[in-house]
Amino acid sequence: MPERKSTLRDASDWTAQIVAIASNRDKVAFARLFDHFAPRVKGYMRRSGMDDAQAEELAQEALLRVWRKAESFDPHSGGASAWIFTIARNLRIDALRRARNAATEGASDIDDEYLLDDAPLPDAAVAQSQTGERVRRALASLPKEQQRVIELSYYHEEAHGRIAELLGIPLGTVKSRLRLAAARLRQLLEELQ
Amino acid sequence: MTISHHPADAMLLAYAGGTLDAGAHVALATHMASCRQCRDFAARLEFVGGDLLDAAPAAAMDAGAFGKVSALLDEPEPARPASPQPTGALADVPGLPPYVRRLEAGKWRWIAPGLHLQPLTPPAASTARVFLLRARAGMRLVPHGHSGLELTCVLKGSFSHDGARFAAGDFDCGDGEGDHAIAIGDESECLCLVALTGELQLRGLAGRLVQPFIAI
Repeated sequence: MPERKSTLRDASDWTAQIVAIASNRDKVAFARLFDHFAPRVKGYMRRSGMDDAQAEELAQEALLRVWRKAESFDPHSGGASAWIFTIARNLRIDALRRARNAATEGASDIDDEYLLDDAPLPDAAVAQSQTGERVRRALASLPKEQQRVIELSYYHEEAHGRIAELLGIPLGTVKSRLRLAAARLRQLLEELQ
Repeated sequence: MTISHHPADAMLLAYAGGTLDAGAHVALATHMASCRQCRDFAARLEFVGGDLLDAAPAAAMDAGAFGKVSALLDEPEPARPASPQPTGALADVPGLPPYVRRLEAGKWRWIAPGLHLQPLTPPAASTARVFLLRARAGMRLVPHGHSGLELTCVLKGSFSHDGARFAAGDFDCGDGEGDHAIAIGDESECLCLVALTGELQLRGLAGRLVQPFIAI
């Protein structure tokens, strides 16, 4: 087991595992994905404020969806982590809505809310195997406090107020910092083309 | 379609991160249905999400977790009802993404001469009021200060304020600053999707006109 972890370090490896599930229903590949991603999805859910039991349940559900939806993954996107992130994100939104309002039974599917038209996404410019690595470098090159506000806006609704509270800085500072961080990130991501 | 006005980067960040209010999401998704550029940026921001996921502190799974999920792999997937074809009041409104077309919509209401509103029900509890607003060609709307946050996406026709023109696909975010005299374009009536978020005291273009007509 230890050597399989050391051999699977980058995005193309994870992509290959998802492709193996899509084409051969490969359970060994699934086990590898589960080992790596289930604890991270659980960590993501925990950080979003869910308790251990709910985070556990959603992490299991997320990996089950990875198995079931593997065929819809575009291997040329190079974004295994990004794809799994969207699965986790949508499950998280759904869980929060259910918690807030028990009567959302039969409500719209969150996946639909991110399905804007028939055009395949992401576009060719984004769909490069190195995108993940380059995005990582772009993010890492931001000042720490900007990384922090960006990160928090992936974890908390009504980000501004919540971020101000978490970081103990005034709301106005959060807004300007987030604006700066987002603009800088855009600049870096646009250089990826 | 040439789109010149886009949502703020920070708002796209919340969209891609999945932390945007459900009502605001309706307005953003409507813009993005027409805007390739913002869709591409959001796709990149999903890579940022992937990166954060990779970097998320791993939380140990329960001992039996893998076995539990493995046992389900060969089970047939529980059938999920296909998303229904939109058939309601919004089925033929131009510029709306499919899930918005499926939202429940109330009746068109008269607000003022030449101005009508149709309330929409966001897909989940939201602090925003979401509605379509229809204004007669060539109308001039009286300037007044904003208070809440107004997210407006143009579906048809155009309007202008402060020297900027907003046409189909354009996104306008009224942030409470300035006095906006708004002129509806002469070419046709103007149809917009609006999400009013945040504060309850609504004094913007839509808010002031609409406040007496929506339950707050």
